[in-house]
Amino acid sequence: MALITMKDLDINYKLKSRTVRAVRGFTLSIDEGDIVGIIGESGSGKSTLAHGLMRILPENGYMEASEIVLNGRDISRISDAEFRELRWVEVSIVFQKAMSALSPVHKIFDQMYDTILSHKPATRKEDAEKLLTKLFSVVNLPAKALSMYPHELSGGMMQRIMISLGLVFNPKLVILDEVTTALDVITQGQLLDEIKRLVREFRLTAIMITHDIGTVNELCNKVAIMYAGELLEYGEVEDVIFNPFNPYTKALVKSHPDLNPHGMGLRGIPGTLPDLSNPPEACVFYERCPYRKDICAKEKPKLIDYAGRKVKCLRVGELS
Amino acid sequence: MSTEMLKVKNLVKYFPVRKIGKKQYVKAVDDLTFSIKTGEIFGVLGESGCGKTTLGRVINRLEMEQSGEIQFLGQSISGREYKEDKYFRRKMQMIFQNPYDSFDPRYMIYKSMDLPMKINMVGIDQKRRLEKILETMNHAKLTPAESLLTRYPHELSGGQLQRISILRSMLLNPRFVVADECVSMLDVSVRADVLNLLLQVHKELDSSMLFITHDISVATYICDTIMVLYAGKIMEIGSSNDILNSPLHPYSKALVSYSPTIRKGEKERFRITGEVVTPIDPPPGCRFASRCPVAKEKCTVEEPKLRTIDNNRQVACHFV
Amino acid sequence: MIIENNVSLARGDSRLLKSIRRYMSGTKGVIGLSLLLIFVVLALFAPLIAPFSPDEMTDDILKSPSAAHLFGTDHLGRDIFSRVVFGTRISLSVGFVAAGLSALIGIFVGSFSGYYGGFTDSIVSRIIDTFLMIPSFFLILIIVSIFGSNIIYIMLVIGLTTWPANARLMRAEALSLRERTFIMVARSTGESRLRILFGHVIPNGVYPVIANSALQMGGAILTEAALSFLGLGDPNLSSWGKLIYQARPYMTFAPWTIVIPGIFVVMAVLAFSFIGDGLQYTLNPKNVKGD
Repeated sequence: MALITMKDLDINYKLKSRTVRAVRGFTLSIDEGDIVGIIGESGSGKSTLAHGLMRILPENGYMEASEIVLNGRDISRISDAEFRELRWVEVSIVFQKAMSALSPVHKIFDQMYDTILSHKPATRKEDAEKLLTKLFSVVNLPAKALSMYPHELSGGMMQRIMISLGLVFNPKLVILDEVTTALDVITQGQLLDEIKRLVREFRLTAIMITHDIGTVNELCNKVAIMYAGELLEYGEVEDVIFNPFNPYTKALVKSHPDLNPHGMGLRGIPGTLPDLSNPPEACVFYERCPYRKDICAKEKPKLIDYAGRKVKCLRVGELS
Repeated sequence: MSTEMLKVKNLVKYFPVRKIGKKQYVKAVDDLTFSIKTGEIFGVLGESGCGKTTLGRVINRLEMEQSGEIQFLGQSISGREYKEDKYFRRKMQMIFQNPYDSFDPRYMIYKSMDLPMKINMVGIDQKRRLEKILETMNHAKLTPAESLLTRYPHELSGGQLQRISILRSMLLNPRFVVADECVSMLDVSVRADVLNLLLQVHKELDSSMLFITHDISVATYICDTIMVLYAGKIMEIGSSNDILNSPLHPYSKALVSYSPTIRKGEKERFRITGEVVTPIDPPPGCRFASRCPVAKEKCTVEEPKLRTIDNNRQVACHFV
Repeated sequence: MIIENNVSLARGDSRLLKSIRRYMSGTKGVIGLSLLLIFVVLALFAPLIAPFSPDEMTDDILKSPSAAHLFGTDHLGRDIFSRVVFGTRISLSVGFVAAGLSALIGIFVGSFSGYYGGFTDSIVSRIIDTFLMIPSFFLILIIVSIFGSNIIYIMLVIGLTTWPANARLMRAEALSLRERTFIMVARSTGESRLRILFGHVIPNGVYPVIANSALQMGGAILTEAALSFLGLGDPNLSSWGKLIYQARPYMTFAPWTIVIPGIFVVMAVLAFSFIGDGLQYTLNPKNVKGD
């Protein structure tokens, strides 16, 4: 059953002389209980997408969609005040670089209590403390961390605190924005295990935004591939990663050292990202695609259902 | 011809830590002994704080060691600063982690490439140097070369800058290259190009490489031998294949099992607890003892020596 | 920069051009620069612009501004307009020389100290701190009253007592630049420390000193005016400060004698202050990236 459905989502940034079209026509449906990875390199729009959904875009950013249905309700057109009611309660986000998300001069408990109060102003201190202690034990944090300052904690612990903050109202959907990127390898791995467990125990649906295919392979059951603001492929992880259909997905996988024999076979992708203030009319990957044909420069491919997944490529039949 | 290009013996590098009262030291590199053969790509694998970056800097003489011996091409280079020894400088070069900062922002790329050549008297005059630069760039497919040379660093992408960094070093015809996390800051698909260039250059120069990284996928792809560091000490040395597929040291096992990969199937986690340890006045015994699942009493008393197990395999553990 | 062998000239705008454009887009900077330009013109072409010789005494004593004497006359019948125009030469010279000297010393001391570090740096830092503790004007006052008030001395003394502020700025830049990757690259490819200092550290770190120098020029002009006002200025030269000093007995009934030179001092200091702001605006690191 679909927990969240996005249709034709666009996000633009207005700059002095031009408008950057960071996300274009994004359409995706995420089922309950899924852990969906969104993979993209810089400029793919993956973080922008997350910020847009949470309505935390900067001043010059604005989002449009034909619909965004969360839990049966279209939230694309509700007011900011209405959205504030469900932000953190039905959907929350956890950022990377936990260090910069927390104030260095306040104790952890005070900051978290603050967040709780801003959504449920009647919460008493003792109740909040009980809730947070319980939450901390779930994410393997000692209760005494509540009375510590951010600089006294390690990167892994800080990230766990951010995750527990995201879970404090037991939302249905949690967005994890590159949460393991800045951590050490072993801490990363431990955190991924934690997240898997939390998703099970809390019956969450999670969106994991990352640039690392390995992380997606270990954590997620479904994956969406984004490039220059567009969704190019979406499906089960075993399908998309081990048998990619879209040429960009193929190239991305081919550029990962794991799937190439020692010292050979690694291929980069020639060319650069298109200018997002003037994105291509037809296929966004045309300039860099090794399989391109003339038609790819003229016709805009649509996201279609193919062999159990969604793909955007005019030549998908021949290439798969 | 398999002579030893670099021989390191009992290398020690401490950093003083300012604390009120007694003086403490971070034992960043604590008694390391290893050697690198001609033509070998030698990987240094570890998490943050293990000393890998410090090791690279000491070997390249950007930092002075406290004690220990370094022999390069049969000559001792330790014990004194090689500030202006031109012969040595040409022979050993370093590629740094941040390509965006590797160039003086006020110099055109041409100047940044020409200056090291001029200083080290590579090429007879400006005309010949320019020819060599153009030839090298064209050979590495960094084209159009003339256009790139007249640009400033901020106009180029990370991938281009890093490849130009590699070429800059290569123009000096080094016998030894230290690559310090040189792809960590780059997008996944861009890394492939840089790694391929590194391999290409390595073959053409008949040189050796010290490849520093925290990413096991990259390490096993590019390196012949891998040395695993933890808290300033060597845990294990072996061929990259052995380290990946049959690690012996508990820390290596943990590192391999927690690294996100895209090999098929569920990996068995070699569970360890705790966080990465910074070696400030470490307790006696094995550095890894506090987190090791198979540690016994002996481990907290006696430090394990690096023993040779098979051909080319060395482990520092009491129970292997 | 020309590259031979058929390689084309630098394409696109050079950083200098971009910086100039950026500077020109800021109001304050443009106003300051325009004012300065006016002063420079006055100084350079003083004999052509001034209708009278600045020392020519006439019988028109303490006459208020009129067609014949744009800014009126002083107690000796000298044309004030001509006197302030010629005074511009002195004030600008003091400004440029004193601030220039201060910048030069500050840049060298600060960059060496910051880059080399160690013992030298500790000594130099203490010296800088000491200087910055003492109110420089009083130091200048004492030195000038002991050694004499020749204009050259005044310029030198101002320069020699104000360099610590620049040194501190330069030192801070040197300290942070030391850790930059391209400096490590320079060391790694064999550049000598001196070459790194002059080729990389100073060119990249000098910007705050430049902006501060603009302010110091205004400050030097003000200091010279103050010294003259106290009677310690060069007795042979008629700087703006001297004019103010000489006009004291007459200021209540012939205000133009003191107000006009006063306005010139204010305008000069303002001009440099605006230029300083304009430079800060231009050299803001966010825009050196070139977008």
